[in-house]
Amino acid sequence: MIIYLLVVLIFFIGLYGIVAKKNIIKIIVGINIVGYAINLLFIVLGYKWEGMAPVLTREVEVSEFYRRAVDPLPQALVLTSIVIDLAFLAFLSALAIRLYEKYATFDMDKIRRLRG
Amino acid sequence: MNLIVMPVVIYLGASFLVPLLFRRDGEKACLAACLFTILGLAVSVLLAVRVFPGGRLITYAGGWENPMGIALMADGLSVLFLLVTNLVSLLVLLFSATYMKRYTGTVNFYVLVLLMLAGMNGVLVSMDIWNIFVFFEIASLASFVLVAFGLGAEEMEASLRYTVMGFLSSVFILFAMAMIYGLTGTLNIPDFAREVSCLPQSHLWFIVSLFIAGFGLKMALVPFHSWLPDAHSTAPAPVSALLSGIFVKVIGFYCVMRISLNVFGHVAQVKTVLLLLGSLSMVVGGVMAYGQKNIKRMFAYSTISQLGYCAIGIGIGGYLGCLGALMHFIGHAFSKSLLFLSAGAVEYMEGTSESEDLRGINDRMPFTTLVSNLGMFGIAGVPPLGNFWSKLIIILAAVGAGYTGIALLCILVAVLTLSYFLRLLRTAYYSRTEGKKEKREVPVSMLAPMFALGAVVLLTGLLLLPPVRSIILDGAVRVMKDFSYRDLSVSVIAE
Repeated sequence: MIIYLLVVLIFFIGLYGIVAKKNIIKIIVGINIVGYAINLLFIVLGYKWEGMAPVLTREVEVSEFYRRAVDPLPQALVLTSIVIDLAFLAFLSALAIRLYEKYATFDMDKIRRLRG
Repeated sequence: MNLIVMPVVIYLGASFLVPLLFRRDGEKACLAACLFTILGLAVSVLLAVRVFPGGRLITYAGGWENPMGIALMADGLSVLFLLVTNLVSLLVLLFSATYMKRYTGTVNFYVLVLLMLAGMNGVLVSMDIWNIFVFFEIASLASFVLVAFGLGAEEMEASLRYTVMGFLSSVFILFAMAMIYGLTGTLNIPDFAREVSCLPQSHLWFIVSLFIAGFGLKMALVPFHSWLPDAHSTAPAPVSALLSGIFVKVIGFYCVMRISLNVFGHVAQVKTVLLLLGSLSMVVGGVMAYGQKNIKRMFAYSTISQLGYCAIGIGIGGYLGCLGALMHFIGHAFSKSLLFLSAGAVEYMEGTSESEDLRGINDRMPFTTLVSNLGMFGIAGVPPLGNFWSKLIIILAAVGAGYTGIALLCILVAVLTLSYFLRLLRTAYYSRTEGKKEKREVPVSMLAPMFALGAVVLLTGLLLLPPVRSIILDGAVRVMKDFSYRDLSVSVIAE
């Protein structure tokens, strides 16, 4: 249970970074932390204490495999999710650099030509 | 050949082929993109022929059956969305052949549009919740880049806000998916829908609220709308047309519809939330649109307002509510993309889209003014056009279901919509100008797609005629009203 609370804690730290911070770089860091929180949640959902890698070899009994092997599906999902996060990170960093060239600041409050 | 995967395969393949074949040649890339979109449209028509008489096509990717395989499904509703998506994007691509010449690196533009189309078509045919997530992330990422395509300061600023909000919405949806997987151990929508009734109420509401927050952000319902006006008004005109015309509806409206109607099955609380958010966005969007000086910004707020009608339609439910929401979606998809294209045409010739700087567009660009009129009347709901009937149906449904207040709000916002469009027409399009009146119409290659869209807008009114309705709309409405994923038996595999 405590590990789920940890996930929620990380999630809210990241959310705080996105919502409250004004610096674009800090917002990007917040975005990454939120992404990691969700990835961690997926991994924790599939995890078993004293677990083993879900690879069935000749040495492993099927019953023991069933009892101990961790769920491989969340790991596959997290791999996909990491790739998507990477795309977000790359795009946002490029955008931040280009915005710095235009506005000479990372402050979200000063990057505000659009109104209404 | 498996027909259901084709809409995804065509566009994904195209988005890899086009940059390889035409590295610098934007015109050929545009031609190729149009050809692939025609192919996509043809596949959707073929799917429509198979699906519209009733029933649905289901297939499993790679031939692996239920627990392992990824399920894809095409039924009346998703095929209707496929048709509208592919038709609108074909015409928008034709328009951008000329319009995008002002930009550099246009090959990238067509690649990103194809990628976005692959994502949207993927969302429409998926029956696996993770698959839907991956596809809408593909579409969203492409749309973030497309908004910043011009690399101007404002475009990048809008794209930054849009990206951060888009990421937040994805995170909410991902959180809900993690909850679903943890509680039920499946990501297949029919399996999950069967397990829903066994879940504890508190968990269920948590998941539903995460989904509504996530897809509400994508659909720009009012408390979550702040990104839409920036993103849709600063992007290049074809991108605005795609985003406002189909993207928010496929990623937002369609997913909200599937989740609230077909997965959780007409739960009263979800409907109340949709009615509330729908009325709120209808009114706030309308009022904000009234105060806008920039043409494209006004159209963007009007999108929020009109999406409110769609949300109200599904919130009311029943035959009339669903029919109204669906017709409103179709009418709005065509008229709003037409409007954004015409605003792009005005910007192309006049160099600005601020309504104060524009005077007497009609004197210089009579044909563009004509199609703009058509688009504005199409959205405002002037009688023979489709959105008049859809608004009427939604109002009747609201009265019939006992929501008289909402019906009154719908009428008020319809009047408000007509008034801000008429004001715009009077100040920017039909005002008198001094000096010489030289014709400066946009080239025919831009006019023709706009006229084609205008013709479709004119035809949307015919959707309500009984023979047309029973072929095109009734299947989709039946899906919205009666279908639930939990009734889908695992062994039913067509094809």
